Amino acid sequence: MKRIDKCCHYGLLLLLLISGSTAPAQDSLKGDLNMTVGYVLENNQVPYVLAHVQTKVNRRFRPVTGIPIKLYLNSDSAANLVGQLLTDDQGKAASTIPGALAATWGKTDKHRFVAVFTGDEKFNPARAEATVSRAKIQIDTLPDKKIAVQIFEKKDSSWVPAKGVDVSISVKRFGANLNVNETATFSTDSTGTVTADFKRNNIPGDKNGNITIVARVDDNDQYGTLVLEKALPWGAPFVYKDDFQKRSLYATRNKAPIWLLFMSYFMAISVWGVLLWLIRNLFRIRKLGLTAQD
Amino acid sequence: MEKSPIANETIIRDLLPQKFGMRGKLWTALLICICLVGAYAYFLQLKDGLAVTHMRDYVSWGIYISNFVFFVAISLVGSLITAVLRLANVHWSTPLTRIAEMIAVGAIMFAALIIIVDMGRPERLYFLFLHGRVQSPIMWDVIVITTYFFISLLLLYYPLLPDLKIMLEHREQTDRKLNRLYSMLGSFWKGSSKQSRLSRRAIRILCITIIPVAFSIHTVTSWLFATTYRPGWDSTNFGAYFISGAFLVGAGSVLVAMYVFRRNYRLEKYITLRHFDNMGKIVVLLGLIYLYFNINEYLVPAFKMKRSEDALLTSLFAGDFAPYFWFAILAGMIVPILILVTRKGRRPMPSFIAGCLVVVGAWFKRYVIVTPTLLHPFLPMYNVPASFRHYFPSWQEWAIAMGSLAGALLIITLLSRIFPIIPIEETIKENNETHR
Repeated sequence: MKRIDKCCHYGLLLLLLISGSTAPAQDSLKGDLNMTVGYVLENNQVPYVLAHVQTKVNRRFRPVTGIPIKLYLNSDSAANLVGQLLTDDQGKAASTIPGALAATWGKTDKHRFVAVFTGDEKFNPARAEATVSRAKIQIDTLPDKKIAVQIFEKKDSSWVPAKGVDVSISVKRFGANLNVNETATFSTDSTGTVTADFKRNNIPGDKNGNITIVARVDDNDQYGTLVLEKALPWGAPFVYKDDFQKRSLYATRNKAPIWLLFMSYFMAISVWGVLLWLIRNLFRIRKLGLTAQD
Repeated sequence: MEKSPIANETIIRDLLPQKFGMRGKLWTALLICICLVGAYAYFLQLKDGLAVTHMRDYVSWGIYISNFVFFVAISLVGSLITAVLRLANVHWSTPLTRIAEMIAVGAIMFAALIIIVDMGRPERLYFLFLHGRVQSPIMWDVIVITTYFFISLLLLYYPLLPDLKIMLEHREQTDRKLNRLYSMLGSFWKGSSKQSRLSRRAIRILCITIIPVAFSIHTVTSWLFATTYRPGWDSTNFGAYFISGAFLVGAGSVLVAMYVFRRNYRLEKYITLRHFDNMGKIVVLLGLIYLYFNINEYLVPAFKMKRSEDALLTSLFAGDFAPYFWFAILAGMIVPILILVTRKGRRPMPSFIAGCLVVVGAWFKRYVIVTPTLLHPFLPMYNVPASFRHYFPSWQEWAIAMGSLAGALLIITLLSRIFPIIPIEETIKENNETHR
């Protein structure tokens, strides 16, 4: 009996050890997420909060799709919930600040954004925070094709120039944006201003020569991402040349080049003319034979 | 002079179409069986679509197009032997002209058919005529192949007219059923001076016409590749390269046919050692020309080894396609040249072996021109199924390809059964002139 008790005792101990050791083992099987949260203001309109979720696969960060994320303003309480979202195929989830939080938003000039993921069967919980000051961006033009960009920060309910902020000024193109001159980024002076010479003359614009200038503060620690676009008539008017209706080697059959039509018909008619003559010749030979027979 | 009439009768008796012996019947039955297997495979392809082949997104031209280029190449022999040598007043080639024309007709027929086999929707063939663009090399190829087929038929038929008369005059020695065909085709031929004059003129015009058309057919076929921007095909040399290769394989096929017909129909008196000697020399010359073009086609890009061509050339020289490539170069060109360059090598048996090597090597050469390029596009293959990266024909493709080869051979076999393999009238005429 004593021996049975001892066996039960050791068995129980073993069971506890196994169950105790498997719990952290299961945790360690789960992946870790790298989560960031940011603030984006585009064209000084409604700002939004952007969370980005990645995980390391084969030593490389890959976006994670379908992660449920809660975004908060200032603190992660239910009252401050900005939105509850799933990440897209790029691992991103974005939400504008809802009207219900307008009072909280207007109360202070500096805000904290919190992104929370509570964990699931694949990934451990994750959390990210970012604190930004409210700012805005402005584009002006100066004589001799110069562009002036100003950054303002909100302090004590008034807009003051933001000094030492890196800004890129570029022209919007199809693939990526093109710098307006050889300098990639500029830093704002004490008046919160940067000035850039526009050196992309003759760059194709729309049919009126309009191009879009983009000023961008990218993922700044203090102000987040600020983007402003402005259309300027500084490009070369783009006249679309429609070659579709022209005769060419690549056009439809009705638009074959004349020289090709002439050559191909000439050759085909010449050779087939000879062949038809030869067939007619056969009939002549036949007729001669039949006449001789008669 | 006294000997001439007896000799003429002997010539006629020797050269009239002969019934198949056991070997001939077995050969024909074998060819029909291969054709039937090919037809069944084509039925499966029609039923299930081109998915039964192993052609995928990258290799969209596989063994069928290789076969097509091979057939087009071999068909050029008609213009070489019949037209070029006839216009050059080379009389020794007279016994070979009909063999060459029969090969040309058989090959060009199956060149046209194999293109239809390569189509996913053959019932839409007429779209080519409704919607075809004259700007497309494919359209040019269709026009040129049709033209060449008709010229080859006429070039076979015109010189046949006097022979049809001879066959009808000796109807007791020919097949009764075939006599009806001979009668239908040539009973009107009386051999009058006016008829002969018209026929001679027509043959001369045909010989002149067929040369540019023959050059066009293979140049246009080469342009199907050269006008497509791909490694290995992006060459300004392709037209001349293809034509020289076509003449070589055509001449090689004549060597093979000469040996086979000579042996099986006991034509030693007509296809003599001199013919093998001369044809052997022609093959050596054509082999050297083709080898020269090959050196140009591969050595120059290999010297530069542009990144885009590197993978293709490496796979040809030392990779997956190296066995085919080196077989085509060695067996298709170098070994036949080495055999035929010596007088002993130009005897019938070595010539036959050299001819077989040229023909088989030529088939592999076409495969090597078509497939490896498609597997090495300029833009690298990313995220594609494994089956897209390799190509080896499915059994259906093999069956159809072999069926088409057997079909071309069957046409040649049947033509050689129905019509005299060697022009009788021309042989008599030349024989009489020699005796005189």
